[in-house]
Amino acid sequence: MEKNKKVNIKNVFMYIGLIIAAATMLIPFLWMVSTSLKTNQYVLSMPPEFFPKNPTLDSYSQLFELLPFDRMIMNSLLVAISVTIGQVISGSMAAYVFSRLEFRGKNALFLIYLATMMVPSQVTIVPLFILMRYLGWINTYQAIISPMVFTAFGTFLLRQSFLTIPKDLEEAAFIDGASHWTVFWKIIMPVSKPALATLSVFAFMQAWNAYLWPLFVTNDEKIMTLPVGLALLHGRYLTQWNLVMAGAVVTIIPMLIIYLVTQEYFVKGVVTSGIKG
Amino acid sequence: MKKIFTPVIALVLLASIFIAGCTPETIIETVIVTEEVVVEKEVIVEVPAEEEDVTVTYFTFSAAPDHLEDLDEMISIFEAENPKIHIEVQTASYDDYFTKLQTRIAGGDAPDVFELNYESFVSYAAKGVLLNLEPFAQADPDYDASIYYQRALDAFNYKGMQLGLPETFSTVMLYYNQDLFDSAGVAYPAADWTWDDVIVAGKSIMEGNDDAWGIHSSIHFWEFYKKAAQNNCQFFNEDQTEVLLTSPECVVALETMISLLDEGVMPTNAEMGGISDGDLFISGDLGMLVSGIWMFSAFEENSFNWDIQVEPGMATQATHFFANAVNVFAGTQNAEAAYKWVKFFTSDPAMAEIRIDSAWELPALNNPDYVVGYLSQSPPENRQAVFDSLEYAIVPPVIERQNEMTDVIGAALDQAVLGIITPLEALEQAKAGIEALLP
Amino acid sequence: MKKKNQKVWIILFLSPSLFGLLIFVAFPILASLGLTFFEWDMLTPPNFVWFSNFTRLFADENFWLSLKHTLGFILGYIPLVIITSLSAALLLDQKLIGRKFLRTAFFIPVVSAWVAVALLWMWIFNPKFGLLNFLLSLIGIVGPAWLYDPAWAMPAIILTSVWKDTGFFMVMFMAGLQNIPEIYYEASKIDGANRLDRFFRITLPLLSPVTFFVTIMALINSFQVFDQVWIMTKGGPAGATSVVVEQIVKNAFSYSRMGYASTISWALFIMVFSATLIQMWAQKRWVNY
Repeated sequence: MEKNKKVNIKNVFMYIGLIIAAATMLIPFLWMVSTSLKTNQYVLSMPPEFFPKNPTLDSYSQLFELLPFDRMIMNSLLVAISVTIGQVISGSMAAYVFSRLEFRGKNALFLIYLATMMVPSQVTIVPLFILMRYLGWINTYQAIISPMVFTAFGTFLLRQSFLTIPKDLEEAAFIDGASHWTVFWKIIMPVSKPALATLSVFAFMQAWNAYLWPLFVTNDEKIMTLPVGLALLHGRYLTQWNLVMAGAVVTIIPMLIIYLVTQEYFVKGVVTSGIKG
Repeated sequence: MKKIFTPVIALVLLASIFIAGCTPETIIETVIVTEEVVVEKEVIVEVPAEEEDVTVTYFTFSAAPDHLEDLDEMISIFEAENPKIHIEVQTASYDDYFTKLQTRIAGGDAPDVFELNYESFVSYAAKGVLLNLEPFAQADPDYDASIYYQRALDAFNYKGMQLGLPETFSTVMLYYNQDLFDSAGVAYPAADWTWDDVIVAGKSIMEGNDDAWGIHSSIHFWEFYKKAAQNNCQFFNEDQTEVLLTSPECVVALETMISLLDEGVMPTNAEMGGISDGDLFISGDLGMLVSGIWMFSAFEENSFNWDIQVEPGMATQATHFFANAVNVFAGTQNAEAAYKWVKFFTSDPAMAEIRIDSAWELPALNNPDYVVGYLSQSPPENRQAVFDSLEYAIVPPVIERQNEMTDVIGAALDQAVLGIITPLEALEQAKAGIEALLP
Repeated sequence: MKKKNQKVWIILFLSPSLFGLLIFVAFPILASLGLTFFEWDMLTPPNFVWFSNFTRLFADENFWLSLKHTLGFILGYIPLVIITSLSAALLLDQKLIGRKFLRTAFFIPVVSAWVAVALLWMWIFNPKFGLLNFLLSLIGIVGPAWLYDPAWAMPAIILTSVWKDTGFFMVMFMAGLQNIPEIYYEASKIDGANRLDRFFRITLPLLSPVTFFVTIMALINSFQVFDQVWIMTKGGPAGATSVVVEQIVKNAFSYSRMGYASTISWALFIMVFSATLIQMWAQKRWVNY
């Protein structure tokens, strides 16, 4: 009985800590929502008001009036989904090679992959822009999508994850005459659901929130993604923060949905059942 | 065979993303079917390709987000008068505009027509990327240089070439909260005030009113060169070979700016706590504000009475002259059409009317009718002060490495404001930094 | 037979990724390397200037100052964010009530735009009305001016960054924790191991590939810190939070020195790469696969 009491107090403290932490995470979101419901007059007072005096949904309808907002949402969706699929497919296939196959210069090549993430994008943007011009891809969807699909991030993440999968499972399959493709598709991938879910979330997020590159490569409002379009709300001298926050709230919601959906995949991998202790 | 089949499918899937990407219109159009889309498609089919149908791209920072409709109105008037020319608007927010413009020019995707402000004009002009509009103006019987405000036209003339036409101009005024002045029993600012008068008034306003501040006038490069001029401080000698910033007049100018903080009538950045000076004025807690005439529409809904006055001076008066121009890219394929658009957009009466009606900045035109229209609007009442200010207007000192100079001075000012160094030390630091930038 | 097939498989699996990487990622990077030998204002063609960008770099006080600030950020940010994200992942790995809600709550800052996050934290750090100084005053401490005080601005930015990124790395750790078979824990319980033992002998070692990933990504990202600095302090007050990427952006787009900006980028690259190499060498000692 005493042991139970001890455990309970510890749990209570832990819970309190977690709840406080969670509250700090949630407060900005609540503040964003409350700001989006204000009329511009009261937006930036110091100290800030958390509860709008006359809450209104005006900001949201104004968003749709000022910008081709629905179009931008569709553009962002198209870009984010394409990038996610692309990163998962190309990244997982490359990760399979780096984690399971051998060839001369493999480690050097992997190092090169890592190295590509170390050069600040602010300078590579201009040569990339020129490349797009050369390909005739300025102001097209493929221009926005391609550089984000082929970053080394996905390969790195999945390689690390694949490396934790014990080789016992494949050994058996190879003996049975399975090809690399079968092993990849039927053994490695199903077992890596948490990592794949993680990559999907982050690839989607990177593409969904991408700002600098889509800004540079799109000229036409019809093809702009959300962050680029929302930046247009920033006036030169004064910004209507209620509109900006409304835009920010709308931007977050699909991300949260994706996150909640992929939460289902954060289950213990099937690998646990195959181990012989 | 089966073993190779599925990986090939995967590759094909990947490739199909590109193929799908190549025909974006079909994907989007099938998802969002609106009338607009259907109409556009019909138009493309029906109108046969005539000769000389030209599209001119116009890149702008001043239209979004509030004046896109006004711009569209102007464009429809223009296109009605010039049926073979179609204007395509491309927008960016001011913060990103110049980065994007440079990248586009570097990448060979330059817009035909684009906006520039005075500070950036000089470097673009010097690099030869702006088209000389003089020949087009000469060949155009309808072109009349005198309709433009002369100073604005001159601002965009580089070495005898007219490299842009002035679109709008603006200046900076002293805004004041009449209600706060009334409660404190202080007389409203007069056109010949000095900063000493400002400090006295500010202190009276703050007495007995814990929430109020007396004045706000930003301490950065653009305010500094104007305050410097108010005290007859010269940045450079005649041929810009020497930096004169450490002269007594300049030191006094900077000390005067900082004295507003020291006397407690102006809030520090920490005391502002992240809200802008415009927001502070709107909240009704600021007695006086030095800011541009572009704030008129933002202040329209203020819950208190306010007006403007010519900015206070020191030994003399000096006020800002800011101007934006529209320029044609030197490498454009559509020079004639671009010129027509530029001329229309900067001088056409229909355009000016739309601008003034929707309070979208002042056209840089000499026409007294527009002035009357502008003056008759309120608030503020004392719009005449805007034109009075122009008597004392000055342009910023410009060197080739302009942005670096702005940052050097900004860094020095920041340190002086925080009290890390004295005003004299700040100016010495600035002088050394600028000398390193001169050729 | 098997060897020949291996090569085909390697090429087949690797080519989409490698092909795209070479064209869209490696090519622009190599172009920027080439640019380090030129001066380019972007409006006119580039000028070949040999090594003058490199000599400029050594003499550039602004660069070295920004490097110092960036290192300060890294030293504060990385240990903190690893501790918070790992703790959160461990705590939320247990079967708790409201676990899903808590996990989502932790993730919200990650997906929030910096615009909103920065505004909120600027209020929290507000010297007069802010939450933080208010809480400190309850314990009798007079809080500093935070974002407006050259000494405290960077710590404030570090705190905000840790808060925002914890959820990101927490998710990585969570995925890694899923891969540790329950059996190991059960077996050790039978052997009489307590909680701490289990953590240090099972969890940590088996988590090491993920920890390695987290450390490298955190390092790469923090060397390139920029967005939050730009929004919260614009490199101020009085340049106290200027960071390397800010120098890159300024030189590239404000000062018309694209070549020099590339030079700074490559100096940064060399530092990140070296730090990563050290990590990779060290990994042989502590990472288990």
